[in-house]
Amino acid sequence: MAELSDRKHHDAKMRATIHQKMVETGEKERLKELLRAKLIECGWRDQLKAYCKEVVRTKGLEHVTVDDLVAEITPKGRELVPDEVKKELLQRIRAFLADQATI
Amino acid sequence: MEGLLTTVSVDGSESIENPFLPYTEDVFNEVLDEVTLGLCFEIHRSCKIGTFFLDEVDEDSQKDYEIVHQEGLDVFGNPPQKKQLECVCPNCDRNLAASRFAPHLEKCLGMGRNSSRIASRRIANKVESDNEDDESTDLSYNPDRRNTKKKREKLSNNSPRLKSKFSKNSRNGHNNEMSSGIDAAGVIAYKGSNSYRLETMTLEERKQLLMSTCGVISEHTKKMCTKSLRCPQHTDEQRRGVRKQLLTPDSDARTRFEGGTGEGDEVQVDIDSYEDGDGQALRDTLSRLQYEAAPTGSTNPSPADSTSTTHSNDGGGSKKRKKSSKLTQRKKTKSKTPLHIQIPSQQGYDALD
Repeated sequence: MAELSDRKHHDAKMRATIHQKMVETGEKERLKELLRAKLIECGWRDQLKAYCKEVVRTKGLEHVTVDDLVAEITPKGRELVPDEVKKELLQRIRAFLADQATI
Repeated sequence: MEGLLTTVSVDGSESIENPFLPYTEDVFNEVLDEVTLGLCFEIHRSCKIGTFFLDEVDEDSQKDYEIVHQEGLDVFGNPPQKKQLECVCPNCDRNLAASRFAPHLEKCLGMGRNSSRIASRRIANKVESDNEDDESTDLSYNPDRRNTKKKREKLSNNSPRLKSKFSKNSRNGHNNEMSSGIDAAGVIAYKGSNSYRLETMTLEERKQLLMSTCGVISEHTKKMCTKSLRCPQHTDEQRRGVRKQLLTPDSDARTRFEGGTGEGDEVQVDIDSYEDGDGQALRDTLSRLQYEAAPTGSTNPSPADSTSTTHSNDGGGSKKRKKSSKLTQRKKTKSKTPLHIQIPSQQGYDALD
């Protein structure tokens, strides 16, 4: 199982590298903005907000915390993303990574 | 920089050349998570500040505020009505109608044309409250009031009649004090005089007054008539009565006629000519009366008193205003010392009936 841990280690390292590169070049911000705009356009945001209302009603308005919300919303959010948006983003990321690999 | 061929596949299959590719989706997820987190923060905040459920309405309340489409009413359902535009004065913090705001502000701040007029009038009126007659500027015969210098001046300023009379006098007399006093306050001839209250005026001042004005004291208003000596409202009898009444001799009066020096300055009037023919006889009476009249109570206005006493002064005299330049020394009394009048000749006392 050393391999696994190695791989994990390796993964983490890779991810860190990618992340760093993204931040340095400012690609992360650009991607984020792009994604946000696209999600609002397709109505993902409103859907998720409605879902939030349910959650808050269940939990009670006074007792809702950020962590609760995050825990509930994140998986749901991932579900709700439409395919087109995902595809587009992935394409972009790939292109970026390709550039990075060549440098 | 080698030309790397990367497989562009949706599932992100590995390519040796590009070690990063497998992580594409991870990258995407990471970005998505951040966006989601942003949304969470927003929602949580709106929950805590109370705006989360703000847009939710129930049917019943909704109906209450529906737009009214009726004819003759506005969208709120109110009939057309001119709303009173109110505003708050920044000075006195009062609610005012908008149309009255500008004039009120003028008064409130004390600026503007009218307010200064009103203020000066108020000051003048402060001592005697309701003294304005519509016909003439009368003097009040009220013993309780004092020190109405301003009113005095104002009176004279407003009545050209008095002013001209006295200014004539002053010019002839070449008397500085006289001129200053008279021009400012025709009725109050003397600079030294502080009041136009008959009670507090000196004998001299009263004389001066009575020489030029009718002087009859009205019974109901207790005011002295300031019209001319021939005013049609009062008879000569009345005038005589008033003069007798007012020009009571004080202790100073005794010395007067002999030409003896009084407390202060002594005024000697040499009268060689008469000012005008009007009321001359009356003036004779006046001069006579003024010195020898028995001391009456301080204020006993008996306007229609036609008691004509045949008081004859020692010298008998007329208090005539000097008109000609023949006037000899005429010193102005600075204090309230009586006027000394030297009358060269004694006039006969004519009945004025």
